[in-house]
Amino acid sequence: MAYEKVEVYSPRSLAEALEILSQKKEQIKPVAGGTDVMVMLKDGALKEKELLNLSYIPELSYIKEKENHILIGATTKYREIRRSPIINAYAPILIEAVRQIGSPQIQNLGTIGGNLGTASPAGDSIPPLYVLNAKVKLQKVGSAREVHIDKFFLGPRKTVREADELITEISVDKMEPGSYYFFEKLGLRSANAISIVNAAGILSLENKTIKYLRLSLGAVAPTVIRATEAEEEAKGKELTEDLIERIAKLASEATRPISDIRGTAEYRKKATYGIVYEALYKILKGYGKKIEYGFEKIS
Amino acid sequence: MITETISKYSYINKSIPRIDSIDKVAGSLLYLTDLKLENALYAYTFRSKVAHGKINAIYTEDAEKVNGVKAVLTYKDIPAMNGYGAIVPEIPVLAYDKVRYYGEPLALVAAETQEAALEALNRIKVDITPLPVVRSIDEALDENAPKIHEKGNIARHTVVRKGDVEKARSSAYIVLERIYETPMQKHMFLEPEGGVAFVDEEGVINVLAGGQTPYRDRIQISRVLGIPPEKIRVKNTPTGGAFGGKDDITVQIHLALLAYKTKRPVKLVWSREESGIAGFHRTASKIKLRTSVDRNGYLLSNEATIYLDSGAYQSFGPTILDVSIETINGPYRIPNYVIDANLVYTNNGIASAFRGFGAPESNFAIESMMNELADELKLDPIDLRLKNILKTGEVGPFDNKIRHAEGLEEALKRAKELFYRPDPTGPFQRTGVGIAVAVKGVGFGTLPEYPTAAIEIVPEGRVNIMFSNVDYGQGINTGNAQLVAEKLQIPVSQINVLHSDTKFAPDTGGSSASRSTFNAGNALLLACEKALSELKMEAASYFMTKSDLVTYKDGYFYFKDKGVSIYELAKRLRLKGKSTRFEATLEVPRYAEAVEGTLEVPHMVYMYGVIITKVVVDELLGKIKPREVDFIADIGNVINPAIAAGQIEGGIIQGLGYSLIEELNYDKDGKPLNINYTTYVVPVISDSPLINVEFIKSYEELGPFGAKGVGEISIIPVGASVADAVTDAIGKRSYKLPLLPWRII
Ligand SMILES: Cc1cc2nc3c(=O)[nH]c(=O)nc-3n(C[C@H](O)[C@H](O)[C@H](O)COP(=O)(O)OP(=O)(O)OC[C@H]3O[C@@H](n4cnc5c(N)ncnc54)[C@H](O)[C@@H]3O)c2cc1C
Repeated sequence: MAYEKVEVYSPRSLAEALEILSQKKEQIKPVAGGTDVMVMLKDGALKEKELLNLSYIPELSYIKEKENHILIGATTKYREIRRSPIINAYAPILIEAVRQIGSPQIQNLGTIGGNLGTASPAGDSIPPLYVLNAKVKLQKVGSAREVHIDKFFLGPRKTVREADELITEISVDKMEPGSYYFFEKLGLRSANAISIVNAAGILSLENKTIKYLRLSLGAVAPTVIRATEAEEEAKGKELTEDLIERIAKLASEATRPISDIRGTAEYRKKATYGIVYEALYKILKGYGKKIEYGFEKIS
Repeated sequence: MITETISKYSYINKSIPRIDSIDKVAGSLLYLTDLKLENALYAYTFRSKVAHGKINAIYTEDAEKVNGVKAVLTYKDIPAMNGYGAIVPEIPVLAYDKVRYYGEPLALVAAETQEAALEALNRIKVDITPLPVVRSIDEALDENAPKIHEKGNIARHTVVRKGDVEKARSSAYIVLERIYETPMQKHMFLEPEGGVAFVDEEGVINVLAGGQTPYRDRIQISRVLGIPPEKIRVKNTPTGGAFGGKDDITVQIHLALLAYKTKRPVKLVWSREESGIAGFHRTASKIKLRTSVDRNGYLLSNEATIYLDSGAYQSFGPTILDVSIETINGPYRIPNYVIDANLVYTNNGIASAFRGFGAPESNFAIESMMNELADELKLDPIDLRLKNILKTGEVGPFDNKIRHAEGLEEALKRAKELFYRPDPTGPFQRTGVGIAVAVKGVGFGTLPEYPTAAIEIVPEGRVNIMFSNVDYGQGINTGNAQLVAEKLQIPVSQINVLHSDTKFAPDTGGSSASRSTFNAGNALLLACEKALSELKMEAASYFMTKSDLVTYKDGYFYFKDKGVSIYELAKRLRLKGKSTRFEATLEVPRYAEAVEGTLEVPHMVYMYGVIITKVVVDELLGKIKPREVDFIADIGNVINPAIAAGQIEGGIIQGLGYSLIEELNYDKDGKPLNINYTTYVVPVISDSPLINVEFIKSYEELGPFGAKGVGEISIIPVGASVADAVTDAIGKRSYKLPLLPWRII
């Protein structure tokens, strides 16, 4: 099929981009890496006739440290996240997730802001952002606001972003030294797979007692969710097989999955249990991943 | 592992690089869908959005008015027969009374620009009264089911029997009754269906489109246009993948029709999604088996009820059904059997040829049955097979004398060394091993085949070899060049392949049924013999002697101490006004008659394979990871081990997709749900297990230098071996492919 004709605006600064957006609002579609937008365009699923190309705005692509936080520009590509010494050192859980997104080709183009913009419940960078207490910065001409990741998504493909706003930055907490983490993704193949279920967790242990568990689940509800009951259950307890069983069960109960060609609802519940159980079991048995500050590995 | 044993041959048994690989690797090869003809019209297909319905009217007036539109064609514009289909020409070129599947073509548009063509497409309106949709074999068989064709929903029904199953069963030690199901599978070739067409100065309609069988394409086009085949040229090369999905007509007739009507060059390429919606797929199957064995593990009887989902029309359905009949007894000695085989219509697109052609479907049933019987008998599954396989010289299930089965026995014995459960890889990771055996005939069985091939000795120093089979990636150009090189004892570099083009190549048939080495190879060798005998006489005249005193070696004829090259002799022939092109036709060896009710059962030459699959199953997630696959093949003498191993490996990975994740689905209205690479998930290279391919040393006297065929054998037993390995890992048997994680836990 031939492509629909679209007009592309390629501003060279954020100010210019926001200005265009303030005029065109829902008539124009922001596009960063285009790995979702181009697919929509080809499928005839794009209602906008104009594109706002964000690829020529260098000020939107960066990874910086700020005290206990890491600031990531919205158009930062997955490839850059994977290679970033800062993220490797302080938020390696994000690397775990990004590594499993699409394929090298997709990681060379796709951006973290685009994953938020698409707002798929199966978006793989999103569960780590939940457990990293991410805040999403939305900017428009003359003002900016920060929205906690919990409040950012309204449903599948729906966010609180207003038509005249751009996502400009994502800020995440640095992970605590010595904490364990995991990102597990279940797909039908080993690359370019849409998650049937995914899960991100950070577990902080003091001796054998759990200081806190942060656990988020994707593709099992209209948006990514935090498994808060499971997190509550974990707090202050010793990590044992029994506890893992209870946590995994509560996580599974927290889901509200649908059935589609990538899996039945019932299976998604079972798989949530399995994915959480196995991830925590690995930590219990001593081969979970643990964050060590100062050691800057490049994956 | 590809072992190149020391060989007495100079040019075969050698893994020479593929002769057409440079352009492909460099990306410089122009596929037919890459061609841009000057002044070409853009063509598109208007398709039904209803899976089953009565056509009341098709309105094209508005579309015709669009500026730049040169043709809007419907069934009314078809000059002669509105039908095609490789076996039964019942598929409408453009639908007229009914639509029977979602995406069925109703009209064709050709215009000066893409925009105009798409605008015209948008303006076509249809009035169709929807009818209830039949989505599965079970629904089709329901007595109240809507009839898709006037004659009902059974397209073909055949019963083949031998012995007395009742009696055999009543004396059996174990009788098992099971139902097995396999899904529709898409070919997912990288190049979608498409090509170009134009009418040349001589008034010949040239159709250059991806395909597998140029001469049959030509006949099918000729019947629709009502013009003689000689006025049509079909070229199918290069084609970017086919796997059976381009064996019947895809775009060829539409292209020819548009070029014929507009007298302009046209280009028609299906989008990936159109390929997903309207391209062919593998038949889904539902097979009931009741099989019995005696106390010692000897098979007594097999009762099979086979249903294959042909979709809306038949295409290759009847012969696919035949192969499923022929393979449902496996390579086993079963004295009593009844096979009740049914080809069923549904509104699920059109099923057609796909690597294995009915054999993977039957194999999943019989080999799963064999594994379960072994379990019940507490017998090693390899021993059970060794007891039951037909031996060389025995009379097979269809009164066919088995030519060569020693390779299968040897393969099974070798398999014993490879058949072990791997060590566990971590918590919740269960490992298992599974086995299956495959058998498949080479070629069209009892259907008459008279392939013709030609070679031309070009005085300038090369040999053109010509055949119509298509090399769409299998490597037959290289293999056939090696065969000719061996015969003529000249280097492969002197051989130039002209193939799959009715303008240059004689009718050798198409690429299907693992036949292209056997048939084209044999016919080429005959043509070489003709050439050598003709050239020998010319040599004798050159040496002024008698031809029986002339010898031949390495491209030269010798008499005493004098030599003359074949090219020098060709020059002499040319000067005398004689042809240097030598053509020969092969009568493919076959049995005289088909088993009653079938078209092509049985075959004379069988390929064999034994597969061992080792898997890791995550017991909490139901996720299956194939870890290692061993494949031991008897494909006759191996012309090019690397290419043959590539065919085996490719078939295994395609078979793993079929076994684990691939499944074409339709929604309740009969609309296909997974129609592109995002939604129809095929394995990627990182999903591939370690694959070990071994070839049994084997020689089939009927084949060219002892070769049989290789294209299909490896995909056939993958499903049963994976299901068996999963059973070994988690203790639960599966009867339905694909083994999606939610079917496992
Ligand atoms: C083959 C393939 C494999 C894939 N695999 C995965 C996978 O494994 N996991 C996964 O999660 N995703 C996957 N995706 C989806 C996609 O790559 C990701 O969602 C990616 O993060 C999108 O980023 P992008 O920059 O390409 O987004 P775009 O396509 O440019 O934009 C996506 C959406 O975000 C909006 N948007 C982008 N930037 C901004 C901004 N700064 N402000 C406001 N709105 C914005 C756009 O308007 C659009 O709605 C895959 C896609 C493909 C084609």
